[in-house]
Amino acid sequence: MTWISKSTSALGLLLFTHACYSAHEHSALQAHRAASLSSLTTSHGGVGVISSLPLDIAIETIVATFVITFGLVLGTAKLRPIQWRVWAGQIEREGEEGFKNSSGEVDRDYVGNPFKLLESRPGFVDIRRQRQEFAEWVKGQ
Amino acid sequence: MPTEREFQVAPIVPESVMHNTKALSNLQSLTASIFGVAAGILGLESYNGFLFYFVFTLLTTVLFYAFRVAPTSLKSGLGMFDTSRYYRTQYEFWTGGIFGGLAGYILTWTLFYGLIRA
Repeated sequence: MTWISKSTSALGLLLFTHACYSAHEHSALQAHRAASLSSLTTSHGGVGVISSLPLDIAIETIVATFVITFGLVLGTAKLRPIQWRVWAGQIEREGEEGFKNSSGEVDRDYVGNPFKLLESRPGFVDIRRQRQEFAEWVKGQ
Repeated sequence: MPTEREFQVAPIVPESVMHNTKALSNLQSLTASIFGVAAGILGLESYNGFLFYFVFTLLTTVLFYAFRVAPTSLKSGLGMFDTSRYYRTQYEFWTGGIFGGLAGYILTWTLFYGLIRA
């Protein structure tokens, strides 16, 4: 992951944790208040009356979700073309550059040029010259 | 659906298909749990919760399209919302991951609902 995706996700998680804690505190406070009220008045009102979440917590949650999603999307791996000709063309043009993951290393399953087999061919061996060289070496011994 | 003949004319790289599908499904299962926590915090119940999940998953897919698919696929001359450069079918891209993350979503949704409203 790049630093921008990491920092965005971290910011989102921070907001998210804060929203979660706030919501928990809110519900705990509501429950406590309802309990103390019912003990004061001894009325049979519902104890578990929880008013709906305050608007700011709801907004914070939604915003945090957006920010985290944004950060995660930025952190995903680069896609590769599925059509053979497009894919091979990209390798020919960009080489390893197009197949780096977000931390700048070449992906492990990068196979390299698919036409490598066609592009390099060992030359013919000059057997006569090698034989002559060997003969000279034997003579020199 | 492409025929056998078309696959012969324009072959497909299976490794790339797997790589792309994995990238999308990883993202969707991760975000599904996050959405579950959000739904738990918001205290959503019944249909609202599922609606929340579907809306946000679709939004994630659109974001993924905008940041990962669109820049190169528009440049290569494909139309808007055409994912054929990276995915075999449109259906696979837009709806493929919806039900994969649903289990994780319900798990964290119920967990956080219970934690916060205990």
